[in-house]
Amino acid sequence: MTEPPAPTFEARLVQARDTSARLKRAIAQVIVGQAAVVEQVLWGLIAGGHVLLEGNPGLGKTLLVRTLSACLDLRFSRIQFTPDLMPSDVTGTNVLVMDGSGQGSRGRFELHRGPIFGQVVLADEINRATPKTQSALLEAMQEHAVTIAGIRHALDEPFFVLATENPIEMEGTYPLPEAQLDRFLLKVAVPAPSEDELTEILARTTGKPSGDPERVLSRQDVRELQALCREVAVAEPVLRYAARLVNASAPDAPDAPDLVRRAVRYGAGVRGAQSLVLAAKAVALLEGRAHVSFADLQRTAAPVLRHRILLSFEGEADGVSCDQIVGELLSSVPTRPAAVERAVQGA
Amino acid sequence: MARPAQSDFQRAFRGLAQRVHRRHALRLALTGASLGLSLGALAALGLWALRWGEWRPFASVLGALGAVVGAALANHRRWSDRDLALYLDARLDSHETLTTALAAPGSEEPALVHVLERANGVLGDAGANPQRIKPKLWSRFHALVPAALAAIVVVSRLPLPPAPEPAALAPGAERIQLENLKGLERIEALGHLPGQNPEQDARLKQLAEQARKLRAALAKGLEKREALSEIAKLRDGIAAERLKLADRQNRPGLDAALRAFSTQPVLRNAQKALENGDLTAFDDEMQKLANRAESSDRQTAKDALEEAAKAARAKGAQGLADALDAQKRLFERRESHADALRELARSLKGKLSPEALEDLKEFANSGSPEAEKRLAEGLERALEGLTPEERMRLSERMQRELEHEAGDASPMTKKQLEEMAKQLGRKDGIEQLEKQLRELAKPEPSDDAKRERGLDDAERGGSAAERGLGGVPIPMDSEGAPGSGAPPSGKPDSADPGAPGPGSKHDSGAGDHHGSTPEIAANELRAKADARLAPGSAAAMHGATLGRAPARPGETANQLGLGSASLGEARKTEVGAVDHADIPEEYREQVGRYFEP
Repeated sequence: MTEPPAPTFEARLVQARDTSARLKRAIAQVIVGQAAVVEQVLWGLIAGGHVLLEGNPGLGKTLLVRTLSACLDLRFSRIQFTPDLMPSDVTGTNVLVMDGSGQGSRGRFELHRGPIFGQVVLADEINRATPKTQSALLEAMQEHAVTIAGIRHALDEPFFVLATENPIEMEGTYPLPEAQLDRFLLKVAVPAPSEDELTEILARTTGKPSGDPERVLSRQDVRELQALCREVAVAEPVLRYAARLVNASAPDAPDAPDLVRRAVRYGAGVRGAQSLVLAAKAVALLEGRAHVSFADLQRTAAPVLRHRILLSFEGEADGVSCDQIVGELLSSVPTRPAAVERAVQGA
Repeated sequence: MARPAQSDFQRAFRGLAQRVHRRHALRLALTGASLGLSLGALAALGLWALRWGEWRPFASVLGALGAVVGAALANHRRWSDRDLALYLDARLDSHETLTTALAAPGSEEPALVHVLERANGVLGDAGANPQRIKPKLWSRFHALVPAALAAIVVVSRLPLPPAPEPAALAPGAERIQLENLKGLERIEALGHLPGQNPEQDARLKQLAEQARKLRAALAKGLEKREALSEIAKLRDGIAAERLKLADRQNRPGLDAALRAFSTQPVLRNAQKALENGDLTAFDDEMQKLANRAESSDRQTAKDALEEAAKAARAKGAQGLADALDAQKRLFERRESHADALRELARSLKGKLSPEALEDLKEFANSGSPEAEKRLAEGLERALEGLTPEERMRLSERMQRELEHEAGDASPMTKKQLEEMAKQLGRKDGIEQLEKQLRELAKPEPSDDAKRERGLDDAERGGSAAERGLGGVPIPMDSEGAPGSGAPPSGKPDSADPGAPGPGSKHDSGAGDHHGSTPEIAANELRAKADARLAPGSAAAMHGATLGRAPARPGETANQLGLGSASLGEARKTEVGAVDHADIPEEYREQVGRYFEP
């Protein structure tokens, strides 16, 4: 029996585009609207990063994650973060197990794995847990492994954390530490549905319950997508543009716009630049391209950078948002040399 | 498989690059030409304004130059392949496909191979539709090319503007060239005057040398104001060389000397001349006294001279004392000359003409130098008419009289008479005697009188030179006899050596005083005075080059330099400073005479 020939790069590219399209269609059977959110969550999945979803309650964040996990042939687990949640509730713990009963029975420790051992992990309302518990996620998100009782346990790949947080309830919440925020590839803002979308939601959810979405991607498909994403080419001028964008987000950078100088305390770092390029690669892949364009970087800039920019007191007092900062960066940092840009514009 | 795609990409990319580069260079050349022609139009306008009409068409060359510079700039700033790929990607909307394909030449990575194939497709589409990638050639700025060309043509055909009026020269700035400025030769003559001491000799020679240099500079050409300034310096130098008998140092000595002359009425004129500091007049008076027949008058004069010299020396007026001593020695020589003349006249009494007898009488009474001159001439004529026998008899008679009057005559007189008697006895003696008589007829002034007279003459020469340059001479103190008045012609370069300058103390004031000072057409009027007011500074404030500021030390109450250093201003404590100042006596007297009732 001979092995089938390895598919060509073009075939893999086409397949990736097709499967991602099928995935989006499958999700759309459950989730009404929120196409941009779905798209960005897929960027995170394909790029192998974690996604933080921020939106008001009742916008379908949890449903989106559940639907995604249903479409993927991956193990799903959910952690509902509360203030009394302990780190061991997340990672799991060793439990003493007795063999038999009575005087002669022998006990042994047995590992009870926590929900972090899933492949698609929903960290719901992550900002309600204490920082101690939040930090339990750190090693898992960065290393794709957890250490319990001194023993390191690798997590199954692909490992994908989707966290949600509610921006309007401040009481009893613990804002995520900067180090943890930086470990999310994207921070996706979940908007309220439009009138048409809300109408459709009402129609779907107040009638007869619909069935589960079809399973579109296997675990192997997901890993293939993630591998293909890493192969996407990026030209040096495009990489340089990403570097200029990230550097300009620092207030002390020579090319920083005035708004950044005034309203930003800390800008994005190296991990932010890496995330920007990875997310752009995912965008290119979803569009069936094997290379990244300036437009890909510009599309991913807001979800990649918005949680990596720390506003100054003056910026917060003025009500400046991180999305405004990113918009300013995109408009002030040129993609091409000035002479080329003038020729392009026909000046 | 990848290699053909790579070479296809390179070939297609180069083809498009050539087109883009060409149009880019053309655009820059057009921009350069626009700029050059615009500058050319401005240059043509400037040439028109400057009336350099024949150069105007050449302004269009700037347009060609601008085009060349633009093309050179385009070559220098030629886009790199990466920039070109970025441009093509942007124009073709190809999501940086060409840029990515260009970044990894010869790569075997599947993604890059795929990108290369897509890039070939993009380039193929671009080749099919080249309009999409053409850089824009024309801009609104290029409309300046025809506009500037038209402007150059129009400006080149415009008639030139009228020539502007030549700017008026500042007063005195005009150059003058004179081969021979009259008056300077009299300053040059200062080099032959005897000085009171070697230092003054050197200064007089230096003044003469400066006058010669000024003459040479005028022959080559010099600004009028410079020439006037030089003359003013010379005049200041001449004034500084005058014997100042009445200055602070000599004043007590002069007063003492005058007291020695005040005892005898016969010395009144000499006293007056000395009091005025007029050594020339004083010398004349002494000559008259030495020529007088009355030996008591002569003795009185000699005694007075001796006493005055002693008194002056005792009061520290060494210069005056030396001058009086020299005058006394000269007096004795003149006295012996006069005796010799009178003795000869007495011997020739029968042969003298009536006019010569009259002159002998006048000579004996007044001692006038003019009478002396005329008497010497009369004696010479009488000697010419003697026969050899008469000469022998005259010689014998004079020798007999000498023997008879041996005890009465002065040694000098006796010696001279003996010599004369011997000469009359020889054949050629008469000729030598005539020659001596001619020498006697010449006036023999003192060195001081000669110097003062020469300085006076030089001062008049300076005035004449200033007038010769069209300047108004500054009134300077002028010793000696007045001249004959203003020249009748009124020409400033009059050669009359005796003509005093306007405003001098000899000016009668009868000249034309009508007229007005014309307005000076200048933004400013700069004095060239080198005014140093520090005490002890010997430099005069010369250089009133236009004859408007005759300022010299002593003419301001502030001359001690203790006030605010402004001319004409004095502190309260300095009121009356003039009385204690080193102001030339001549100037004081001149001012005093003006205010005398």
